Amino acid sequence: MKERLSLLAILLMVFTSCKKEPEQIVITSEEYHKSVDKVIEVMIHDIFSPPVASRIFAYPNIAAYEIIAKKNDHYKSLAGQVHDLTPIPDPKAGDSINFELAALVAHMDLSKKLIFSEDRIESFRDSLYSIWANKNETLFNASKAYGLEVANHIAAWMDKDNYKQTRTMPKFSVNSEEPSRWQPTPPAYMNGLEPHWSKIRPFAIDSADQFKPAPPPEFSMEEGSDFYKEVREVYEIGKDISSRGDESEEVAIAKFWDCNPYVSVTRGHLMFATKKITPGAHWIGITKIACRKDNADMAKTIYAYTKASIAIADGFISCWDEKYRSNLIRPETLINEHFDDSWEPILQTPPFPEYTSGHSVVSGAASTALTDVFGDNFAFDDDTEIPFGLPVRSFKSFKEAADEAAISRMYGGIHYRAAVEVGVTQGRDLGAFIVNKLDMTKG
Amino acid sequence: MNKLLVILLVPIFLVGCKKGGDLFENPDPNKTGITFTNTLTPSDDLSILDYLYFYNGGGVSIGDINNDGLPDIFFTGNQVKNKLYLNKGHLTFEDISSSAGIEGNSSWNTGVTMADVNGDGFMDIYVCAVVGINGFNGFNELYINNGDNTFTESAAQYGLDFDSYSSNASFFDYDLDGDLDLYLLNHAVHTQNSFGRFDLRFERRYETGDKLLRNDNGKFVDVSEEAGIYGGVNGYGLGLAIADFNQDGYPDIYVGNDFHEDDYYYLNNGDGTFTESLKKYFGHTSRFSMGNDVADINNDGRPDFLSLDMLPEDEVALKSSEGDDNIQTQKLRVDRYGYHYQFTRNMLYVNQPDGNYMETALMSGIAATDWSWSALFGDYDQDGMQDIFISNGIPKRPNDLDFINFVSNDQIQKKLDNTKLVDQEALNLMPSGNVHNYIFKGTEDLMFQDMSNKWIANDTLISGATAMGDLDNDGDLDLVTSNINHPASLYINKASNKGNYLKIKFKFTKKNTFGIGTKVFSYQNGGLQFKELFPTRGFQASSEPLIHFGYGNIQHVDSIKIIWPNKTFQVIKNVPVNQTLTVQPENAKPFNYKSLHKKGKPLFTPVPNNLGFDFTHVEDNYTDFNREKLIPYQVSDRGPAFAMGDINGDGKEDLFLGGSKFIPSQIYLQQDSSFVASRFDAISKDSIKETISAVIADFNNDRRNDLFTSSGGGDFFGESEALLEAYYLQTDSTFSAMELPKFFQNSSVVRPFDFDGDGDLDVFVGGHTITSKFGAPATSHLLENDHGMFRIFKGFTVKGMVTDAVWDDFDGDGHTDLILVGEWMSPKFLKYQGDSFAESNPLDVKGLWQSIKPFDIDGDGDTDYLLGNWGTNSKFKASKKYPLKLFFNDFDGNGQTETVTALEKNGKYYPLESLDGLASQLVFLKKKYNTYREFAGKTMEELFGSELLDNSTLLEVNTLESGFLRNDNGKFNFIPFGSAMQVSPLTVFATGDFDGDGQTEALAGGNFFGIKPYHGRLDSFPGALLNSENDIILGNELGLDFTKKSVRHLGTVTLNGQVYLLAIFNNDKAQVYKINN
Repeated sequence: MKERLSLLAILLMVFTSCKKEPEQIVITSEEYHKSVDKVIEVMIHDIFSPPVASRIFAYPNIAAYEIIAKKNDHYKSLAGQVHDLTPIPDPKAGDSINFELAALVAHMDLSKKLIFSEDRIESFRDSLYSIWANKNETLFNASKAYGLEVANHIAAWMDKDNYKQTRTMPKFSVNSEEPSRWQPTPPAYMNGLEPHWSKIRPFAIDSADQFKPAPPPEFSMEEGSDFYKEVREVYEIGKDISSRGDESEEVAIAKFWDCNPYVSVTRGHLMFATKKITPGAHWIGITKIACRKDNADMAKTIYAYTKASIAIADGFISCWDEKYRSNLIRPETLINEHFDDSWEPILQTPPFPEYTSGHSVVSGAASTALTDVFGDNFAFDDDTEIPFGLPVRSFKSFKEAADEAAISRMYGGIHYRAAVEVGVTQGRDLGAFIVNKLDMTKG
Repeated sequence: MNKLLVILLVPIFLVGCKKGGDLFENPDPNKTGITFTNTLTPSDDLSILDYLYFYNGGGVSIGDINNDGLPDIFFTGNQVKNKLYLNKGHLTFEDISSSAGIEGNSSWNTGVTMADVNGDGFMDIYVCAVVGINGFNGFNELYINNGDNTFTESAAQYGLDFDSYSSNASFFDYDLDGDLDLYLLNHAVHTQNSFGRFDLRFERRYETGDKLLRNDNGKFVDVSEEAGIYGGVNGYGLGLAIADFNQDGYPDIYVGNDFHEDDYYYLNNGDGTFTESLKKYFGHTSRFSMGNDVADINNDGRPDFLSLDMLPEDEVALKSSEGDDNIQTQKLRVDRYGYHYQFTRNMLYVNQPDGNYMETALMSGIAATDWSWSALFGDYDQDGMQDIFISNGIPKRPNDLDFINFVSNDQIQKKLDNTKLVDQEALNLMPSGNVHNYIFKGTEDLMFQDMSNKWIANDTLISGATAMGDLDNDGDLDLVTSNINHPASLYINKASNKGNYLKIKFKFTKKNTFGIGTKVFSYQNGGLQFKELFPTRGFQASSEPLIHFGYGNIQHVDSIKIIWPNKTFQVIKNVPVNQTLTVQPENAKPFNYKSLHKKGKPLFTPVPNNLGFDFTHVEDNYTDFNREKLIPYQVSDRGPAFAMGDINGDGKEDLFLGGSKFIPSQIYLQQDSSFVASRFDAISKDSIKETISAVIADFNNDRRNDLFTSSGGGDFFGESEALLEAYYLQTDSTFSAMELPKFFQNSSVVRPFDFDGDGDLDVFVGGHTITSKFGAPATSHLLENDHGMFRIFKGFTVKGMVTDAVWDDFDGDGHTDLILVGEWMSPKFLKYQGDSFAESNPLDVKGLWQSIKPFDIDGDGDTDYLLGNWGTNSKFKASKKYPLKLFFNDFDGNGQTETVTALEKNGKYYPLESLDGLASQLVFLKKKYNTYREFAGKTMEELFGSELLDNSTLLEVNTLESGFLRNDNGKFNFIPFGSAMQVSPLTVFATGDFDGDGQTEALAGGNFFGIKPYHGRLDSFPGALLNSENDIILGNELGLDFTKKSVRHLGTVTLNGQVYLLAIFNNDKAQVYKINN
């Protein structure tokens, strides 16, 4: 019925306009992919930590999804399903709306709110706007207005997630005699990132500690203790891999899944950062690959991104809750102190406590969400890291990719075994809960 | 006659050359013939990306190589050949490089120094080289002078042909055996992936480690290990100063290291060994230490020195460059890795009688001279005070924050081939730092005045190594700088027609012909000047081996005392000025170095066992800046509380000391010959409180003393019980905690007085801050005593950050009044009016006041008030016209308040904090400013909008100086102290007759560390005894050891008839001093 009305409106316009014949505006999933890619590009430039990045993915996708769910009978709104989200407004009666266009507008607008370098999104947006306006100004204006209205609705909801408040909460204090307590690591010795991320309102999980993992092995540098063995294992693996050189499979795996948004490099007074996408962004990239392989339409594409990004965002909240509970010291610090003061991990140690592994949790969660959307044994070639000079890796399933991402952190020398194994389970349990809880499709 | 000639010549000279400033002219290279250009040609294989010191430049040395009385100039080239210019007089020079045979064979030459190494009376030349990295070949070369304007390279023969990463070298006689030894400064290339522990310096590494080389009959032997010289992998040696710092006759060594490695301060033990003593005598040092220079800047006969760093003066460069560490990284570096406190700015170290250094660069006005290489002290205007020339500039700023965070990624990343980078495009994106050279005029009282662009012309050159000498033999000091990609600059001084001078050269013994290490004391008109001859100075350079003094209008120097390197001396009396003396040992007598500075018996001597008073205050490790990230200083470290009084009724004074958070307070009872710690459960039980101030007094008139304490600490917030004051009544030698009116804030001082004259003691409790709301005024309270119970006296309302108070009759009307001081406020005089207090004598001296004490400092019989302020030796700046400002508001509307501190610079206000600092609390700034460059140079109005600022609570400070309120017939005028009293916050004054002269003196203590690394550490105040306005003696002459400690309380106690001084510090062990009067 809605569609018929808009068709009628278009027809009317076609007849009344004497200048240029308004055209239909067709938005494809490729345009949505481009918008997501643009956001990733700006995020790399602006430098966001992995948890903050996960939030930047989630809200714009949800906004787009809610618009699609308004129109497409196959998808159900998340209002009432994720915490505190209320139904988005209906379009103004009588307005003819291109919902795909509105969804893309909402995605861009919310993304713009969430990143720093707005001009980079604006120039991308404005080029699309001028194309659309040229094709059908009336339809474009109405759809845009609706997209922005929904974006505002989502923004109001977003603003209450405690993000702003966490900005001014205390920094993580490292003054402690406790030998197990996390310490800043070389070379930048940055403060612990996002110590209050567990206070961010989760999307689907009940609370940040719903998937609280078992504690890590008890800290002890006594030879023979479980913890000591884990430290030693990271050290031995690192030595072994390094002796085999950069060509080894383990180094390839470690680097492929590095996903560190800010690796700082210092040479005398010269400093620079090499920047990559975050773990969340890598899985968003895998989502794109899956959508394309699946020939997913616009609606399914947004659905897939939304489910994946909710799983990722809640994964970070759950993981960070544990990180700043156990406050566990990184292998690099202990290995330098106890075994070898010149040992360096293959990857740069990221600036937050060790347990559990963020990449493991998030990979577990995202892979479970994507398996739910695209099915198990969905083979794909992962070319996400090509812009960073890394090769394509092929996987038989999302699960296989997640397992590799998890173990990559041990190869990289930045996590102990427990953080990786417990982490990926934590993520899968969380993903399964989300998949179960969120009722997004009909039939 | 000589002078007349000069005067006649000057106008002629001026016609020939217009370029220059008021004091120095820059003659045209084509006229002088000095066209040497240190041309750098970056290539794909060699640029700043490959070699961290690619832009450090070449070396320069001035010395007379043919003994014709005209100093010649030698330049080293990094990638070009060395040059030697023979001085032909009248500022014309001849390039004899090729015929002299000194052009060099190394790929990359650095520092150069001249000395008569073989003692044949001719100047030899030692050229350092970097060898073994980046494909650099060669070795350090020693050019032995053949006496005919040719040289023979003989490094191998002398054992000096090092192929390592050398940056500079200095010849001096460290073992006083008469010949010249060598200190060779090498630099590390360690890629700084991690700090590593400090003890890396103990592991010797040939390429990077410094070396001490002993001259054994013409063969130089590496004695570094046995002499105690470090030679590790992370000594980024760029600065080298030799001087007899502790004036025991044996030359000492200061090495300035770049990056995280500490500087080294080697004191010569006189037995062939050195003891590295940096931490003992320096509270903090420059971080990226570059060149340095030594001179007596305050004419007290002791060598002071300046170590350069790279803090930009320009607001845009400042805010777009990587600055100091954050406080957590600093703690990590100091506490965990064992390094000393280092801060990114120039440091001026003023040598003190007790061997400590008072660091005054911020106060002295020379802390920020950007990317600085060489410092040279000299009396350029010949007025009797040392001035400073600082060379400057870097072609590319690699520490540009946009480059680090943004540009580099897009541009370099693509070219990243494992760890090797080569990208001209990336280099082009680094901003250039063509900062002008600086020159400062030295004035009295440790202050320097910036004369850049006046004395010297403004330039955009990259100037590095600098040498000094009298090139035109007109008596004043000329300068030569080696420049990158530009001909070397000659700075020809025209001061000789302004002030008088004396030039002194030496003919010393056979193996040290130029008398390196000779000291000269000049006594004139009751004044003193002191110099020591060590020609290797500044950075990668050596200067003409002469001593120069300026004398202003003085015509005759009363006497010149020369102390030779062999510890003998001679005196030349009544020396006319404006001449060059050449002195050789004549009737030299042994010199007793102990006689150099008169030392009386110290007034205070530490008591070894502290009389049993073994109190150490331990500050809890709460860091205010982790929670309130933008506050200008901490409030959590104001303890411990200290009170004296008879607690157990035995007629002897006992001691109470408040604990910090979760640490119980302590009571020490006075016994016959010592103090003994005693426990009182009711008081220990309240250990959660951080006790800031305390009073022992009988509040309920039962003839037993009770205890009243205030609480603070800056950590507890809201209505936390731990913030409440405590009141303990003593009954039957136990204490019981009593109820008090409740007010929740960080309180400061407690001062009892029976203000209403009803026979019981009332209590004033100062309010300092409200946790998490720095800038919101706290409320001070007057508690009225009602039969031993307290209630708030309603007629008293004072808001503000009160720190200290005194009950005193300031107007002499017979009624005791209350005077308050605090931070961001003026002192307040309050008079009791029966039902309320009225403010009188309003003053407009808003300070960061820390302390007040009544004291008749001008001896006119009425009471003046000593006021301790913040001092002028920090990055804060304040004046009546341009007050320091603090804006308090919820800037981002998230329900949490912020404080933004703003400073004036060139008439505009800028935030003190960096973009990252501000954005750690105000995220919207990151959205508003996508690059550091956009943010840099933005005023407060531009950043926040005037509406937001207008709606903020504004706090101001218009003086940071400590001083006193002089009582001028009941009117009070603020008189600041001299500069030695301004180096740190003055936290406490005590009065009494300390020296037993029957007069009352005041004793001052200070220092404060609760600040971020961009301020540094305010650790330099040695304490002071104030006899009167103009008679102030620093504590380091009195036996007090207050430097590097944060004094909180000073008190005297009598035990067994002997008076002792008690000094109580924050986070340190208390010290008892015996008073020897």
